[in-house]
Amino acid sequence: MSDLRTGGLGEAGQPWRTLDPRTLAVHCTWMGAPLGSLALAALATGGRIGTRAWITLAVIGAVFAAVTTAGVITWRRTRYRVTADAIELRTGLFTRSVRAIPLHRVRNVDITANLAQRLLGLAVLRAGTGGGGPGGVLSLDSLARPEAVRLRAELLARAGAARAEDPVLAVADLRRLRYAPLTFWVVGGVFAAAGAVWRVLDGIGIEPWRIGIVRRAFEDFGNSALWLTIPLGLLAVAALGTVGAVALYAENWWNYRLEWTDAATLRVRRGMFTTRSVSIERARLRGVALREPLLLRAGGGASVRAVAGGLGNREENRRRSVVLPPASRGEAQSVCDGVLGEPFAPAGLTAHPRAALRRRVVRAFAWCVLPPAAVLAVLGALLTPVLLYCAAGWLVLAAPVAYGLARDAYRGLGHGFRGRFLFVRSGTFGRETVALDRSAVLAWTFTDTPFSRRAGLVTATAAVAAGEDGYRIRDMPAADAAGFADAATPGLLTEFLDHGEQPPHIPGFVRSS
Amino acid sequence: MARHGQTATGLRLRPPRHGVAPRARRWWTAQAWLTVTGPLLLTAAALLVLSLLFFPGALPWLGPLLLGVLVLPAVVYVLAMPRLRCRIHAWEVGESAVYAAGGWLLHKRRIAPLSRVQTVDTVRGPLQRAFGLATVTVTTASTAGDVRITGVSDEDAERIASRIAEAARLTPREGDAA
Repeated sequence: MSDLRTGGLGEAGQPWRTLDPRTLAVHCTWMGAPLGSLALAALATGGRIGTRAWITLAVIGAVFAAVTTAGVITWRRTRYRVTADAIELRTGLFTRSVRAIPLHRVRNVDITANLAQRLLGLAVLRAGTGGGGPGGVLSLDSLARPEAVRLRAELLARAGAARAEDPVLAVADLRRLRYAPLTFWVVGGVFAAAGAVWRVLDGIGIEPWRIGIVRRAFEDFGNSALWLTIPLGLLAVAALGTVGAVALYAENWWNYRLEWTDAATLRVRRGMFTTRSVSIERARLRGVALREPLLLRAGGGASVRAVAGGLGNREENRRRSVVLPPASRGEAQSVCDGVLGEPFAPAGLTAHPRAALRRRVVRAFAWCVLPPAAVLAVLGALLTPVLLYCAAGWLVLAAPVAYGLARDAYRGLGHGFRGRFLFVRSGTFGRETVALDRSAVLAWTFTDTPFSRRAGLVTATAAVAAGEDGYRIRDMPAADAAGFADAATPGLLTEFLDHGEQPPHIPGFVRSS
Repeated sequence: MARHGQTATGLRLRPPRHGVAPRARRWWTAQAWLTVTGPLLLTAAALLVLSLLFFPGALPWLGPLLLGVLVLPAVVYVLAMPRLRCRIHAWEVGESAVYAAGGWLLHKRRIAPLSRVQTVDTVRGPLQRAFGLATVTVTTASTAGDVRITGVSDEDAERIASRIAEAARLTPREGDAA
């Protein structure tokens, strides 16, 4: 690691290290916008640069010099080190400050990178204590990516030892609001709100399309340049949805706090106007589900649900069992650890056979890609050849997307068990990684269809008296299913396993013993 | 990363020891006639008569359509379903768990330990009563863990119910009265 310079040795014997010098380059990315607009202006005017442009250029140069000087000084003065029991950061351009977080209080370590940092191979590492406020987080901006990954592993390994001591697993954090737009509510919320308004108007006898303003607006919309107004309309819906999603998130998760109130009760408290508090008994807690819907996963986030019984019917259970709102993957991981009381380790799950991929691809094509293409093609053959081009275009566009999603769904499949827990992962639009207490599994079901039988696959369902009741391991090899279930829940089905001899099929109740 | 627990491959679940009562096949056939085959054939016949009386010109295309969409599926269902169900449906009350297999196209095998059993229900519908059959449903705390044994004779149903109830009483409960 050539970019790590060692400073003087501290009293703890650990060398102080500097941040990556390429950070300075990241600080220059702000110049992109003004320089770009300047270049565009120069291009538009045919290379003639006016006085105003020269002034702008001079200002940019001066700011560049100032920012870079400050950056160099900051970079030279910023040092960090990991001692035997703490992570320490020395910073300060004008004032010097030293911050230290004891390793045993580190609850989550996140690695993030924006586009510029990613291009330069850099990453920002944030170590958080789980407590609120700016004092709870120590941020190293930025490190070479391999160094950040190594440091995270080191911090988490050392932090794990005393993890169970802190009863507070997570508290509200404004930075989590950035995950709010990555939820269904961005689009669904706008339509739900529009539907609600419509119903209210309908209820009091107003028909919106009769109102002059609304009709005129629609007519103007139809008459104006559609290539511009339709994207603008979509943008407006997205912006409105984002505002709504953030507001909803804030209302739901204001003052959020997840903690073990005593050894046997996990409590979630949240809400701005309506405060909600859900207590989950440890005896009813059967595991956790780490949920990563497609959008949230793309943004590096996840949310967590407890798999618990006694929270009401299915619908109420879904609403009340959320223990962490959409947050960073690292926070979700540490909340899972804290709820389970042992590491939530879904890495290294057994992958499913290739036949499962084939089934997903076939399903995606048979249900989503081919029917519209067939309908368009038939209509095209009967009516107009334009529709034939539409069919071809649809195939070209939809086929790669469908294949990509099928492949993603296949990659998500996995099962295994470690420690007290059985792990199941599946889904692409709503990927979910579930850890289930092995001793809570109270039945196994194996289902297969004529298609899956031919592919040698079977779906095994573990029944628990919590959460969704049944958790399915989809499309696992038929030859392994019984063995896996027997190993995961010893004794539950041992007596029904085949040990070679084929017992006769006896009609009626005749017990041999 | 340490590996997750691995499985001993090649271990297969054997079918449950006891098949359904021989009468069950007639019961399923009757059920098929009453619920699927009968209505489908009646609809086909009605449409055929109507078209004969009022639209004789429609027969050339309506006939094959009815045959393909209504008659053939109805006949295949009444012939295949009871046969397949008789082959697949089976049950067994073991030392520590109850095991049932069912289905005809979609096969389902379910195993629940006796220590987790909450209730045992025996249901006899009017049609089942005519054939002297019963359905035993063993419930657990999870809706995904209820075991249904269909098409057993009355005597077997009683014996299954009493044996499971007895075993559930004797086995130390593992605490999930959710």
